[in-house]
Amino acid sequence: MDEVLVADDVRKEYDDTVAVDGVSLSVGTGEVFGLIGPNGAGKTTLVRALTGTTRAEGTIRVFGGDPEDADEQRVSLLPQSFSPPARLTARELVAYYGGLYDDSRDPDAVLADVGLSDAADTWYENLSGGQQRRVCVGVSLVNDPDVLFLDEPTTGIDPAGRRSLWSLIEGLAAGGTTVFLTSHSMAEVERLSDRVGLLADGKLVAVGTPDSLVAEYGGESRLVVRPERSPESAAEALSDASRGFDLIVDGDELLFRNVAPTDIGPAVDALESAGIEYDALTWKQPDLEDVYLHLTGDEFGVSERPTTTAVADAADGANDADDTDTDTDTDTDTLGAGAPAGSGGDR
Amino acid sequence: MTATGRVSAEFGAAWNSFLRRRTAVFFTFFFPVILVLIFGALVQTQPTGGGLFAEPQAYYIPGYLATVVLFTPLSRVGSEIARHREGNRFEKLATTPLSRTEWMLAQTLVNVVVIGLAALLILALMVLVTGAEIPLSPGILLLIPFVVLGVTVFCGLGSVLGSIADSQDGVIAASNTVALPLLFLSETFVTPELLPDWFGPIVNLSPLTYFSRGVRALTYEGAGLTDPTVLTNLGVVAALAVVFFVAGAYAIPRTD
Repeated sequence: MDEVLVADDVRKEYDDTVAVDGVSLSVGTGEVFGLIGPNGAGKTTLVRALTGTTRAEGTIRVFGGDPEDADEQRVSLLPQSFSPPARLTARELVAYYGGLYDDSRDPDAVLADVGLSDAADTWYENLSGGQQRRVCVGVSLVNDPDVLFLDEPTTGIDPAGRRSLWSLIEGLAAGGTTVFLTSHSMAEVERLSDRVGLLADGKLVAVGTPDSLVAEYGGESRLVVRPERSPESAAEALSDASRGFDLIVDGDELLFRNVAPTDIGPAVDALESAGIEYDALTWKQPDLEDVYLHLTGDEFGVSERPTTTAVADAADGANDADDTDTDTDTDTDTLGAGAPAGSGGDR
Repeated sequence: MTATGRVSAEFGAAWNSFLRRRTAVFFTFFFPVILVLIFGALVQTQPTGGGLFAEPQAYYIPGYLATVVLFTPLSRVGSEIARHREGNRFEKLATTPLSRTEWMLAQTLVNVVVIGLAALLILALMVLVTGAEIPLSPGILLLIPFVVLGVTVFCGLGSVLGSIADSQDGVIAASNTVALPLLFLSETFVTPELLPDWFGPIVNLSPLTYFSRGVRALTYEGAGLTDPTVLTNLGVVAALAVVFFVAGAYAIPRTD
């Protein structure tokens, strides 16, 4: 795989603030590289440095040359919080940006790709927030780029629209388009990305496939039970029937740690045999969000994690399990040979 | 896509965006109309007296034209830059083949069309409402380059102001602060005789002064195509247009 984007020891300062601090990475042809990190971590600044819209120290190469000299026909950017002229229709906006390139796609085809054929003649300002963002994604696709920078592309888009765009991005990558994606949606990054980089305080603290990051930093899977009685008494009742499960009490919940999917049945049996009634039972597989929380230092202590979050996490976990299946396939197909030489690994 | 195609695409987007802001369109044309109606028709001129508006109506045509040539580009281009910055549009455009110069040219052309129409409206009102007598000679055609180049000057200045100011409010405040002194101290409505002698050289610093002198020679004095006063002032306005256009294009931000 050819290296399309290369950053070597990139650093960017604004006055006394170091926005990007010694970042090195490379992204290959057709690879989807996901960049995650807290607000203010430097993600957008790094995107700007890679697209040549801001100057940074260090070395940046796009198609082997300076980013400012890169062939604009082959590069496209969807900036964060992008807001195009509000009183143009969706079709006019796509046609306008298409008119800036030597070759551009048919606006109606682009709008069909982003699911906006029915709203083609609606002014941008009259579209819903999600539709507006889809127009912006369409604008970034109009030149059929070889490298696509998407800075939080699905912000404000409803779940169905988001999944539609995910499929679109997957299709682009399958066709050889290199995608550099920043997002706060871990599900999005985990599903789409061949490799993920985590930026914190301007530093790239980890890079790897989603699976490898989850395996290294995600922690353990767990079964979360909310007993009707106090969790302490439930734990005591389970002491004889727990069959060796690793149990801890977390607030009003009981946690079975390191529970594989095949262990869920025996755990439920143990609860029943101990006569423990419960309001909720959820299984949580470690995912990219756990990696994020662990590496950014934002991780809640187990006892501090809100109960509702645990349930929600479990629901997300179910979805993510589906996504992970997809990612696993993707990893198998692309990452083995896909990661550019010397580009993987931490830091 | 050629540069012409890119400028055309940018022009089309900017033109449609302008036309669909109805209040902006209305006040762009209402502003000069109300000025002519207030000062030309209501206050009128007093050719035998002194003070302001003591000259014949046609004397003030450069002043009325200056209101649109000066104010409209300053505020429109400045505000457009502020809107682009707030919407991260320059960041997007920086990754397209559109250059800053092409963007600046497209915005200038939009303003040329808008202000050209406003200028025609002003001339018509001056003749029909105030009875101003405009000498008709071939030289009157030079009004076109004067308006085009004048608009270019203030589009460039608007771009610089828009790049310095950090919001649309800031742009409006800055453009008003710059435009008001220029409007009244550039031999437009205030004759040189009404100003102290020491102020004369300062008047020469205003780009609008050369616009006023040239336009007045055409619309009040009936100067011909080869009149030295007209050509000299046209040359100065043209040189300033180049300087301000380049400065304006250079000032357009990318992201930082």
